[in-house]
Amino acid sequence: MTPQAGQKKGFRRNSAFPKGRPLDETAYSEVVSLLDGKSLAKDLLIEHLHILQDEFGCLHARHLRALGEHMRLSQAEVYEVASFYHHFDIVKEADAAPAPVTIRICDSISCSLRGADEIIEAAKNAVDPAKVRIVNAPCMGACDHAPAAQIGKRPLFKVTMKSLLEAVETGNLKPDLPDYINLESYLDEGGYALLKKINDGTLTADQIIETLSQSGLRGLGGAGFPAGKKWTFVRSYDGPRMMTINGDEGEPGTFKDRYYLGKDPHRMIEGALIAARAVEAEAVYLYMRDEYPELLEILATEIKSLENSGIIPADYFILRRGAGAYICGEESAMIESIEGKRGLPRHRPPYIAQVGLFGRPTLNHNVETVYWLRDILEKGAEWFTSQGQKNHPGFRSYSVSGRVKNPGVKLAPAGITLNELVSQYCNGMEDGHSLKGYLPGGASGGILPASLADEPLDFGTLEKHGSFVGSHAVVVLSDKDNIKDAVLNLMRFFEDESCGQCTPCRAGTEKMVQLLQSDNPDLDLVTELGDVMRDASICGLGQAAPNPVSHLFKYFREEL
Amino acid sequence: MSDQISFTLDNKTVTAEPGETIWQIAKRCGTTIPHLCHKDEKDYRPDGNCRACMVQIDGERILAASCIRTPTNGMKVTTDGERVEKSRAMVFELLTADMPAREESPDSGADFWLWAESMGISSSRLPKGEAPCQDITNPAIAVNLDACISCGLCVRACREVQVNDVIGMGGRGTFSYPVFDLHDDMGNSTCVTCGECVQACPTGALFEKSLMDDTSTTRIIKEVDKVVDSVCPYCGVGCLTKVSVKDNRIVQIDGRDGPANENRLCVKGRFGYDYAMNPERLIKPLIRRDDAPKSADAYLSHSDIMDVFREATWEEALDKAAGGLKTIHDRESGRSIAGFGSAKGSNEEAYLFQKFIRQGFGTNNVDHCTRLCHASSVVALLEGIGSGAVTAPFMAADDADCMIIIGARPAQNHPVAATYIKRAVKNGTKLVIIDPRRQELMRHADYSLQFKSGTDVALLNAMINTIITEGLTNDAYIAEYVEGYEALKTEISAFTPEEMAPICGIEAQTIREVARLYANSEKSIIYWGMGISQHVHGTDNARALIALALITGQIGRPGTGLHPLRGQNNVRPLPGLRLFPTEFP
Repeated sequence: MTPQAGQKKGFRRNSAFPKGRPLDETAYSEVVSLLDGKSLAKDLLIEHLHILQDEFGCLHARHLRALGEHMRLSQAEVYEVASFYHHFDIVKEADAAPAPVTIRICDSISCSLRGADEIIEAAKNAVDPAKVRIVNAPCMGACDHAPAAQIGKRPLFKVTMKSLLEAVETGNLKPDLPDYINLESYLDEGGYALLKKINDGTLTADQIIETLSQSGLRGLGGAGFPAGKKWTFVRSYDGPRMMTINGDEGEPGTFKDRYYLGKDPHRMIEGALIAARAVEAEAVYLYMRDEYPELLEILATEIKSLENSGIIPADYFILRRGAGAYICGEESAMIESIEGKRGLPRHRPPYIAQVGLFGRPTLNHNVETVYWLRDILEKGAEWFTSQGQKNHPGFRSYSVSGRVKNPGVKLAPAGITLNELVSQYCNGMEDGHSLKGYLPGGASGGILPASLADEPLDFGTLEKHGSFVGSHAVVVLSDKDNIKDAVLNLMRFFEDESCGQCTPCRAGTEKMVQLLQSDNPDLDLVTELGDVMRDASICGLGQAAPNPVSHLFKYFREEL
Repeated sequence: MSDQISFTLDNKTVTAEPGETIWQIAKRCGTTIPHLCHKDEKDYRPDGNCRACMVQIDGERILAASCIRTPTNGMKVTTDGERVEKSRAMVFELLTADMPAREESPDSGADFWLWAESMGISSSRLPKGEAPCQDITNPAIAVNLDACISCGLCVRACREVQVNDVIGMGGRGTFSYPVFDLHDDMGNSTCVTCGECVQACPTGALFEKSLMDDTSTTRIIKEVDKVVDSVCPYCGVGCLTKVSVKDNRIVQIDGRDGPANENRLCVKGRFGYDYAMNPERLIKPLIRRDDAPKSADAYLSHSDIMDVFREATWEEALDKAAGGLKTIHDRESGRSIAGFGSAKGSNEEAYLFQKFIRQGFGTNNVDHCTRLCHASSVVALLEGIGSGAVTAPFMAADDADCMIIIGARPAQNHPVAATYIKRAVKNGTKLVIIDPRRQELMRHADYSLQFKSGTDVALLNAMINTIITEGLTNDAYIAEYVEGYEALKTEISAFTPEEMAPICGIEAQTIREVARLYANSEKSIIYWGMGISQHVHGTDNARALIALALITGQIGRPGTGLHPLRGQNNVRPLPGLRLFPTEFP
């Protein structure tokens, strides 16, 4: 949405008819036939917007009007949701539809380090804008193949101008599916036996929670909340309860969920079903980000197979598709989005364990957290805890990108240091680069200097430096990188991805970018602003957004 | 009460009721915490987004928005101090940075500026952001989004208070702004110009043009001479108003907290006041000139009115009128004179008027506008339940489980009443709309029956038939209060939904479902309007509705009853004052 868009006059008022945009009968019948047989419940608004966007390549005003009519929603109710998400293109009567092919090029930190910004500029000049649209996009979870892009729904890795133009030429807009373990193979190697044991009472919820608590498994989405404790909390509230799985892996530099789901989706699904069983959830909603089209396809197929095989009843494990909004990785914003609304984080209290999806007590887990459940329950808590370092039980999946020789998902002991991670798991720094700093936990964790590269990376260890390990997204920066540029990249990301709900984050991120861009930033003012963003923002986005700036001042002052 | 909460507020122990917010408690204790997105009025839900009302809670990592936070036992809350004040001040600075300067802003007297002033903030150290465009396409309301702080009060006003659902919060991040419909110009949108958003906006980003300069950018009428408490002169809802007057002209009307409107108004009550200052309004008596030609098809406009009339004094005009009436009375008796009053007049005027006609001319030729609209309902109600009045206020919608609206379009004609109906639907009340023409309110309805015009009795009888044949009647109620039920039962037996379906154009199954919904709901209420009463079968239509209520016992309890919606603001007392021919006062 641009500030000017409201001035476009697409239709004129005829005083013989009611005020406002008239219903276009053709558009209405198109909407009705596209949604034939589908529920018109309000929580499906985003799903239905996807159907229209996929069909017409954009959302025409006439279709939005018709969709509202069909779903018994007002135009404003439809518009505010459609305009919140990046993957919806609203086209008013007087506007031109977007080009038939859209290429999204990631400009988040790991891709930016590898020249994404230059490629975007060049690509915008190189393609015919009537045929191809180039769009800046936030992290698409392919940081180990930076710079990443997507043509239509087809991911492109290690993009160059040459490969980009070739992709346009080829015209393939569909993703290739990774070679993953499907239901048949998963069952062959003993899959869902554990679930069966729980369903027939051989294994009780209390036993599972006991093992889980012993294992010390923590939420791997970023917050690190002990999983066993979470289950106990949710169970303490009266049912009916719900379960959600957060597959909105948007923290820049994070790509572990994509990695695991592309390999073994049923391991995650079985874990989710076990957890749902333990808290007696009525249904499980899996919220998967739209940036992972191949996973959306795999998951839809495999959920169908599970229903067909009778392992789960229909409409019990429900896949919901995100639409391009980092904030929906925040659990309460994700819940709002599943309910078909704008992804605005909720106020706490109440916590979602008490009042969550559709107002019910809700257990929410990140994809990876439930992915490990089966292994922990089959092999025992000890198996998991023994794989960590001293005082840091268990292993972690570090998504490593940036200036290392061998980036990727590294399954390493919790509490490993950055120096160990780079040397033992990534084959060292890239040739010609020496370590200058690193992001321990995506954009939100800020940037720590090389002098802190021997700190253990785990929940609770980095807080004393105003940082945190979060989703374990490690981005390595070298002497060839400009830290101020990196900080600006992160701040612009926060500005773009702020939901806009609260003043400190909405206005604060925008002002912070402006202040940092000035030649002589007023450091006291920036610090004061950062303090208030941290202290008064509703959710973690605004609260963590000043971290990179604080680190710039604290550890990299010479770069200002 | 046992579930009261005890906590510490600024070092004092305070007791709170469950659900009471820290902001409300602080206000009660004498501390008004700054607030922008929170409107301290009924039906405005706190949203906690502006972060102007932050307070400190011991043991919590970050500050809390007092408008949305409720205390728990033993909590220690501080509403002042450096940390809290720094935070609030920065919020105001962030917002001020993007606002026009106070004197150039749409409303220099807006709450935003009053709070900023009280905190000593008049400018910002922060850089200015991109400003959105102005939208002045609505005739009465200017939209200056450069003054918008995206607090969403207008959205809550439009969606939760008035339930018009026109304003949404579009876009995201820095570009989160209120939008009309699909981000359309306000004047081209479905906005009904109720002005609730104007009344709610804390910055003047949505503001009355009547108080602004020619470009609708800046407020120029900053002070008014007086504010007069009044009542809306339009429909029968009876909204209370506050009328601001400057230089003896009305410049602004706001809603007042009346029992029927709770501060709400519609376009008529808020903006429909210019007629009072219209230059065409007659303010001196006119008498027809002796030389003016008489012609049945003469077209009279204000500009050439003096071709036909001349100004006169009140004495001359009254003498002329009285003389004319006396001449007729003397010549042909009172039978040749009739008086037609109005339901917009006061009780005193109505009484005097009927007395004037009756006593002055010795005739019962007196009536008023209800003859056209409401009389058929009155006759049926007097006959059916012994009183010509509504049996429940329209706000009974709040208590109802099922509402039937038939022959009425309250969203257009009784907009403030419609807000309660729509709000009830959002809270889960079932809604059935029976109207041959489609209407916007049908978006909210569970059943929309667009039946054939004039077949109300057939449709309603089929519903009565369903209720009786399926045993959905309230037999205890019938036994105690209803007369003639057996006769109805016999009479109605032929009116099956299957027989009536082709007549009224509604499928038998749908008729049955609606009848069941009405009868089986714990509390059902019926609203009707001119589609029922202004009709050759008007009285029969109303009789059928009354029969529905009586056989199901959906009357006489909260959330049930019969409510003919009326069009004039003083329609109710006039039958009592007998401004009609059939009875004496």
